[in-house]
Amino acid sequence: MTRPWRRFFRHRLTQAGLFLLFLYLLGALFAPFLAPYSPYSQDLRSTYIPPLTGLSVRGPEGEWGLWVSPAFRHPLEGVQVRWEEKYPVRFLVRGETWTWLGIEGNLHLFGVEGPARLHLLGTDEQGRDLFSRILYGIPISLSIGLVAVGIGLLLGTPLGALPAYLGGRWDLLAQRLVDILLAFPGILLAIVLVAVLGPGLVNGMIAVGIAAVPIYARLVRGVVLSLKGLDYVEAARALGASHTRILLRHILPNALTPLLIQTSLQMAIAILFAAGLGFLGLGARPPEPEWGLMLARGREYLAVAPHVATFPGLAIVGLVLAFNLLGDGLRDALDPRSR
Amino acid sequence: MTAYFLRRILIALPTLLGVVVLVFLMVRLAPGDPAVLLAGEFATPETLEAIRARYGLDRSLPEQFFIYMGALLRGDLGESARSRRPVLEELKTYFPNTLELALAAILVAVLTGIPLGILAALRPGSGLDLSVMVLALLGVSMPVFWFGLLAILIFSVELGWFPVAGKGTLAHLVLPAITLGINATALLARMTRGTLLEVLSQDYIRTARAKGLAERVVIFKHALRNALIPVITVVGLEFGTLLSGAVITETIFAWPGLGQLLVGSILARDYPVVQGAVLLVATSFVLINLLVDLLYAAIDPRVRYD
Repeated sequence: MTRPWRRFFRHRLTQAGLFLLFLYLLGALFAPFLAPYSPYSQDLRSTYIPPLTGLSVRGPEGEWGLWVSPAFRHPLEGVQVRWEEKYPVRFLVRGETWTWLGIEGNLHLFGVEGPARLHLLGTDEQGRDLFSRILYGIPISLSIGLVAVGIGLLLGTPLGALPAYLGGRWDLLAQRLVDILLAFPGILLAIVLVAVLGPGLVNGMIAVGIAAVPIYARLVRGVVLSLKGLDYVEAARALGASHTRILLRHILPNALTPLLIQTSLQMAIAILFAAGLGFLGLGARPPEPEWGLMLARGREYLAVAPHVATFPGLAIVGLVLAFNLLGDGLRDALDPRSR
Repeated sequence: MTAYFLRRILIALPTLLGVVVLVFLMVRLAPGDPAVLLAGEFATPETLEAIRARYGLDRSLPEQFFIYMGALLRGDLGESARSRRPVLEELKTYFPNTLELALAAILVAVLTGIPLGILAALRPGSGLDLSVMVLALLGVSMPVFWFGLLAILIFSVELGWFPVAGKGTLAHLVLPAITLGINATALLARMTRGTLLEVLSQDYIRTARAKGLAERVVIFKHALRNALIPVITVVGLEFGTLLSGAVITETIFAWPGLGQLLVGSILARDYPVVQGAVLLVATSFVLINLLVDLLYAAIDPRVRYD
């Protein structure tokens, strides 16, 4: 491993970021196994159950262990727990069936034996298990980030590199285009695109992706401009290398480091923007377990059930923080100017 | 210098024109009949006919653009499909509220972010530095809508210090301004710390210290003056970003601004208002950037005018 990469992996905050991201990836990969229930299965008798309601550590005979008593919402008296009934929490239990990545199964990491349900993070306005919904939300947010960043990279890199390499009129034209796109600050460009494409999860991804295009274009343009006049490029041309070869083999590899740093930070921004669109009702549609959308629903019942808005927000913060930590770590380790 | 100013202003013009083209194309590129998009779903056939005639929707795209541009220059942005009021009137009602919120937010960010960044830079590696940096990292990683909801939950619902939502007294402004300003605060703290650290490591600072100047003088007279120049640029850019960030903050706090108008109009497919609001924010952003550039050139003697 080269020195910058060793520096990267030794950095404390980077390690924290990598660890966080690892947890999220695990959650995304094994969501149906880790989640005790389906993200869609509702129970209208137990809406807005606070986290860990009905959980006790002593069984009916006073024995130690984890026990759950059935909880439901009384229309007038609020949350009621039938403490006289207790059902044991079991690990690796058979429960609701799921299909995930082409695999069918019904094994869950934990569950309750009996009619009671254990809600680690409580339930939402339809009695759905918030913990399960947040877990199923991870692959949604990650794929939004990946698709959006992919669009930004694929469109932004040529838009930045080609005109800058060709120079002259082409560069001027591309720069104007990038300027125009950058005139829509922050989340506004994504909102404008959603207004054109129509709301929805896929359109939201595309919109957030296109919003990243000018940022990548500007970055790559800077790298190409700073290198294309250098002696080694001249030398390559004198040796008879084609323009395509020079651009792809001699210039663009130098953009990899800044692109890598930008991509990590851009993942964070894309996830925030997509959640923002979901929150505004312009992104994912119900009943999708998308975090921004879940937060928006939680907002309506903030005073009654604050947990419904709190936990999806925490999930967003954690994932965004992980990518920001990684981006900062990459910059500290790989960018020679930042030392 | 005048020539530089003029040229910088001339560069902004095609950008503004491009913004108008994009906003014009919005309605023409969206799926559906542009006349229906402009008149609203419940428009009568007569209204649709009137809209078609008014915007020349049966003519070629360039012709339509000239009609649009002509109306725009006369201050005619069309009519809201929902309220039937002129779009310009709607914008005049809502934009000042957004401006007020964004100004309050940038004030919060400048008054807390910059001092925090300075404090962190003066004691690099200290506990204070670390906590400021961790807080700043959290600040840029937090969705504003989550922060806003938590703020409402704690300070309005639980403690009852501030109203939950709406606009009116100064107390109404506090939570939305802090919420909108939180990202900018974090960004400014990081930025100020970074540039100040860089400046402090330069030779002229060592010279100033070697001369025996008081540390206070070195920091405030020599270092900060240079360190704050790039920070001012970021303040300007952030102000523009706040105008768009207000979209979310306004929704949380039911703040009657442009953002609420925009989101409501998108959901109701009220395209004339969407166009007007987007045009207004983008234009303000371009103009703010222009102002920042000119200001930058005026205060930084290192900017060359070529």
